[in-house]
Amino acid sequence: MRDALVDWLGDAFPEADAIDVVGFEPIPGGYSRETYRFDAVVRCAGGEQVHPLILRKDPPAAVSILQTSRHVEHDLLESLRAATSIPVSRSLGHESDPARFGECAMVIERMGGNAQTSDLFHDGPDVDQADDVMRHLCEILVELHTTDIGAIDPRGALADPRGVGIDVTTWVRYIDSTVEYYIDSFPTIDYDPTLMVVLDLFLTLRRTPPRPLPLAVVHGDFNPANFLYADGRVTALFDWENARIGDPREDLGWMTTMDILSNSNVMDHPRDEGGFLAYYNRLTGFEVTQAEIDYFTLFGTANIAVPVNAAIKRRIDGESTEFTHLYLTQSSMGTMPNLLRLLGYPGVTA
Amino acid sequence: MNTTPNIDQLLEGVLISLGTDVLPYVSNPKAAATVQMMQSILQGVRQVLPVVDQRLAEEHNAMLHVIAEITALLGGCDEVAAERIRERAAMIGAEPELPIPLPREVVADAHRAVGNALTATMIDLDELQRAGVAAADDGLAVLRAHVGPRVVRDTHTILVGNALLGRG
Repeated sequence: MRDALVDWLGDAFPEADAIDVVGFEPIPGGYSRETYRFDAVVRCAGGEQVHPLILRKDPPAAVSILQTSRHVEHDLLESLRAATSIPVSRSLGHESDPARFGECAMVIERMGGNAQTSDLFHDGPDVDQADDVMRHLCEILVELHTTDIGAIDPRGALADPRGVGIDVTTWVRYIDSTVEYYIDSFPTIDYDPTLMVVLDLFLTLRRTPPRPLPLAVVHGDFNPANFLYADGRVTALFDWENARIGDPREDLGWMTTMDILSNSNVMDHPRDEGGFLAYYNRLTGFEVTQAEIDYFTLFGTANIAVPVNAAIKRRIDGESTEFTHLYLTQSSMGTMPNLLRLLGYPGVTA
Repeated sequence: MNTTPNIDQLLEGVLISLGTDVLPYVSNPKAAATVQMMQSILQGVRQVLPVVDQRLAEEHNAMLHVIAEITALLGGCDEVAAERIRERAAMIGAEPELPIPLPREVVADAHRAVGNALTATMIDLDELQRAGVAAADDGLAVLRAHVGPRVVRDTHTILVGNALLGRG
């Protein structure tokens, strides 16, 4: 791997006389991509530079939960850097030939900041920064949701990144085609009759659409673990692999879900603005209601439920021996009480 | 309860993962031996699980017969120890036999078949709801009233922590 990386970096740093890779080690965490940190020591006529970098590599197809493209992610990061002030890693490039790293991969800049966002909540050491960090996080999300789609996604790669027939020509078509994708996917996730709850989710989404809002590029995994911070500011928003064109309320709904599961309090901040949603509404004028958040909490849950439960089913059917996919039966179960509550199941509290 | 993955599938998954994801990276010989002992224990649990419920009931009933047979053999004996055996037989030996539980897979198959029927019913109810049949709303409410408490109970029974280990 190290030799392949040095070879690849030669293309990224054509001016280099010599390149060394030091401190190469896996970054624990994350169910979808394999990530490794390292420093690239680049020596050229002007001297020596150290570049803190990350290699993001696809897992083998059989164990992959979310089939996404490093090429698309690379283009997105570079578009975000060019068209917005959203703090994201620079992408040095992507490698689509699996012969090089074993699977498709990309190399991105490693950003500074604290990744232990739990330090911001409860009795954490940085609780005094929580309001400022979440204020900035909200402003970043608003910028993402209000930037012209064409500026971020000029090639239309985010319209249907899973290639499942999503139609983003209008909001109604987007919701309809996405929910149809969920429903059509049910046979691929139906590993146990208790999954009828997930089917109920899909069918309920189809029966109860909310009012339209302008479509936008959404992060797709906007959660308390996917940003870095320092000195009261977000220094990086990362893990963009599930980004797509969608309804901006999807990110708010998913953050609400993960806030509950992670026992964090992102949505309570900034307190002086009345919380994340109130501040978001003040900045956007969207006047998103709690009922809409609830709908898109369900919508986002469905969006991730399809690939996650499909991976579980593939594992149970013997298509892989990936242990994580078996463990995901527990992770999936953890979302159930809140899911049932939002669906209005009688007698169920979160 | 989930019928899939079943307990055996979960244990098998842990066994495989210990062998492929953990053991190759354990350099301490004692730790490696401990992992192998864990595998052995888990395999033993896998072998016991399919038979334990029936065997406990069968053995319980067989022991009642043994007590009864011994008591009958000592019927003419008036020693104190024989009297104690007769008293024991009158107490414990008078317990009724236990029903032999069905094999777990038989129960799971039946459970799964009815569960699949409910899933199909939910799809039909949705079609009726979209056609404006009010009774279908009530039907879905009945289904949810059954499934909701079950799923919550399962969650409380099975879940360990927030089940987000390894996510970062």
